[in-house]
Amino acid sequence: MMEKMIFGRYVPADSTVHKMDPRSKLLIIFLFVCIIFLANNWITYALIGVYTFYMLGMSRIPVRFLYGGLKPVLWLVLFTLILQLLFTKEGNLLVEWGPIKIYEEGVRQGVFISLRFFFLILMTSLLTLTTSPIEITDGLETLLNPLKKIHFPVHEMALMMSISLRFIPTLMQETDKIMKAQMARGVEFSSGPFKERIKAVIPLLIPLFVSSFKRAEELAVAMEARGYRGGEGRTKYRQLSWKAADTLQLVVLAILTILLFLLRA
Amino acid sequence: MNQKRSNTLFISEVAVFTALAYLLDFVAGILSLKIWPQGGSISIAMVPIFLMAYRWGIKGGLLTGFLLGLLQFILGFAQIYTIVQGIIDYFIAFTVVGFAGIFASQVRNAIDEQKKGKWVAYVLIGAFLGSALRYLCHVVSGIVFFGEYAPKGQPVAVYSLLYNGTFMLPSFIISAIIIILVMSAMPKKMVVQKMR
Repeated sequence: MMEKMIFGRYVPADSTVHKMDPRSKLLIIFLFVCIIFLANNWITYALIGVYTFYMLGMSRIPVRFLYGGLKPVLWLVLFTLILQLLFTKEGNLLVEWGPIKIYEEGVRQGVFISLRFFFLILMTSLLTLTTSPIEITDGLETLLNPLKKIHFPVHEMALMMSISLRFIPTLMQETDKIMKAQMARGVEFSSGPFKERIKAVIPLLIPLFVSSFKRAEELAVAMEARGYRGGEGRTKYRQLSWKAADTLQLVVLAILTILLFLLRA
Repeated sequence: MNQKRSNTLFISEVAVFTALAYLLDFVAGILSLKIWPQGGSISIAMVPIFLMAYRWGIKGGLLTGFLLGLLQFILGFAQIYTIVQGIIDYFIAFTVVGFAGIFASQVRNAIDEQKKGKWVAYVLIGAFLGSALRYLCHVVSGIVFFGEYAPKGQPVAVYSLLYNGTFMLPSFIISAIIIILVMSAMPKKMVVQKMR
């Protein structure tokens, strides 16, 4: 539980993808989500598939982690496939079985759309599986830097994000402590009728909110005592470094994009 | 000096309450209040957003909501199927909950005047507005999602309205009850004390 809270779905490993700069990974995922819509025939979908599995292979993420993350969405993929099969009525009739009629176009559409769906989920989970939350925050901060021009508080946002990530385990411990304290007094949290459970939440939440206010205030005092004065001129503890591998992966993606343009129907 | 002081407090409070909002989703899981595994749940994650919205005004609410969406994305628990759906469901949907803060000054004044009935009413209207806007976002994203993946001509709007309604209505009711109970326990906290 604790681990899940701190790292999210991040799986530490020693791989090329893990070592890449978070900025390049964010860029690649963003571009991938855009170019996947270029695919519209078998060969382009095959290309996207090869690319997805190439990235997955490089990341050395064990299959069971991928499966764990995918499980809840697999039925949705299946559901879209079935919907497409049943309701697309174009092309030649392939199967007729009572009221169920399956058309050629339905099969084509169904397979394409579920494949797109599947590859998208694999690639977006790859980002959070191979990049720690704090790295993503740093990456987003640098990528969003231009937004400072329109007075979007990029620095404050990244700072708040880091504080939040830091405080999740702390507050989790706090919650655990309060829950145990209330359980010792006889409160039942996970059994009984719904109404009773809601009632049991109140003596948990009120101390939790009060202590959160206290922690936030202490943090603000501590920040000011150390001279926090906002974003201007602050230096960073974690430095991002753009390596040759990052450029290489962007080039690979660019080649994929060009191929997609050439081969799409 | 005053201005700066409360700015740091604003940053730290919004950050801590974002963490709390994220955590409450997990707590809801432990308490087995979570019934919709495929996206959407009766969650009390909106409570900290409302709290920040009433304490710091619209800005606090919007920021807490936006950061909550970002946090779910960064930790990899966001279910993103298409770009548009992802942006609506996680960034816009939680951000708009912060619009509850439109009524922040009314809530604060009523607390100052110690009129409980009055601030409870404003809190409820605010919570309703925030939840309704979030509901609207989820409905739209449902239509967008199915528009992209389902065959044309299905009554997706009705389905999306119903599916999202089944968790948003109980979420609103439970969040509203909890926010009122929490705020009655510490009404003074809703007013940012002037620092000197």
